[in-house]
Amino acid sequence: MNVRRAAFSAALTASTAIVIAFLLLPVVAIFVDVPPGQLLDGLRSDAAAEALRVTVKTNVIALALVLLFGTPAAYQLARRRFRGRALVVTLVELPLVLPPAVAGVGLLAAFGTLGLLGGTLDALGVSIAFTQTAVVMAVAFVASPFYIRTAIAAFEAVDPALLDAARTLGAGPGRVFVRVALPLAASGLGAGAALAFARGVGEFGATIMFAGSLRGVTQTLSLAIYELFDVDFDAALAVSALLVVVSGTLLLVAKLLPTWTRSPSTFLSGSVRSTSS
Amino acid sequence: MKLALAACTALVLASGAAAAEPPQLTVYAAASLTEVLPRIDARQRYSFGGSNQLAFQVRQGAPADVFMSASPEFTQALFKDGLVERPHRFCSNKLVLAVPRSNPAGLRTVFDLKRKDVKLVVGTARVPVGSYTRIVLRKLAMTSVLTKVVSEEPDVKSIVGKIALGQADAGFVYTTDVRAASDRIRAIAIPPWAQPKVHYEVAVVRSSEHRAAARAWIARLSQGRARRLLRASGFGIK
Repeated sequence: MNVRRAAFSAALTASTAIVIAFLLLPVVAIFVDVPPGQLLDGLRSDAAAEALRVTVKTNVIALALVLLFGTPAAYQLARRRFRGRALVVTLVELPLVLPPAVAGVGLLAAFGTLGLLGGTLDALGVSIAFTQTAVVMAVAFVASPFYIRTAIAAFEAVDPALLDAARTLGAGPGRVFVRVALPLAASGLGAGAALAFARGVGEFGATIMFAGSLRGVTQTLSLAIYELFDVDFDAALAVSALLVVVSGTLLLVAKLLPTWTRSPSTFLSGSVRSTSS
Repeated sequence: MKLALAACTALVLASGAAAAEPPQLTVYAAASLTEVLPRIDARQRYSFGGSNQLAFQVRQGAPADVFMSASPEFTQALFKDGLVERPHRFCSNKLVLAVPRSNPAGLRTVFDLKRKDVKLVVGTARVPVGSYTRIVLRKLAMTSVLTKVVSEEPDVKSIVGKIALGQADAGFVYTTDVRAASDRIRAIAIPPWAQPKVHYEVAVVRSSEHRAAARAWIARLSQGRARRLLRASGFGIK
């Protein structure tokens, strides 16, 4: 019996070791293959610098849009109980599991020149193809479910009694949302935003299909890696290393945010007091 | 008795033939060969892509038996480094300017690119079709139109896709690509004097386990049926 127990425990340890080694080795290899000094040189290349600029700009805009529209939508979906709610939530989550190539084809079929809305957009004089707008749309499409999912959970975790209390104390629904629900769900929303941003920064498939790849315009860091890897592997490694650091930081933020602000009693009383004042 | 013996012999011969059937080869080939190769020989396994990226994969030890490049640059570099056997030229191609069938930018000649406001798509400078495009533009003294490029694509089929979908107004591709997608795009000719020399080379990968079979397969490329199919697809044959 003891032998069996030891064998099981050893098997668990071995599996864990294999999982960690397999998942970490490629990440470690990126940093081992090139010395740090060379990594910095690689980042100073024009292609990398421009790709960084494009990535930051498009992702900040995409995240702003996701927050602007996603937060009220998530609040609505978390608060209201209606028929087909589960279906709506599932539909919102769909891009999460959709292959990026499918996202690219879908965006082309909807907003492409020959797509569903292509004629309408054309009549309005709007051409999305190959612009940073296309990058922003691709990023927002694949990243928003990461935010909205987490945001729904964060709003659901807010005690409805607190929202009702604010209402009885005379706050309108808008004021309850801004002054009570938002602060209470803030850490969850922040975590969701960090995850969405990380997914957006890594977006590749939908972008190259829908927005193309042009240095300084639509070429993001992920696309730059793809263009560089056979020409200048060191530069591709450098850009990859940068993305590892950025993604790792975002994951850490998403993990730590909820724990940083976990002092509900003070938090709640503070918010409620401010709404009633 | 005689019949049984004959049947036995036939069976033995058949099984012998089955055992001697050549192995399935893995062929890494330039994207512009996407349509014609399976037509020449549907039994092999193909991986199509930009010649530069395929060459990089061969360098990284990809399990290719045969490498077919749209430019001698990549086969010769691999040959020099001892990674492939001596390359052979097996066909040639020409560049054209491709436009969507509806031709939204109203291009009639390649020179219209200078005047009109067009969304132009080209290959990256590294992929053969992209470097040929830059040669053409230099010969035409039209390198300034590169400012109208809205996307640099990793291989020629991505360029064709962007034009076929009407996302882009024009792009430089091979004449064979237009034939393969003639229901959606059409070609505007480039003057012969501005044409680059587009030669395709094929080589056996040294690390292949089926080198003899790969050599035999390559030899068949220069035989009647393969040549007919290449020519019918628009490739040039010596």
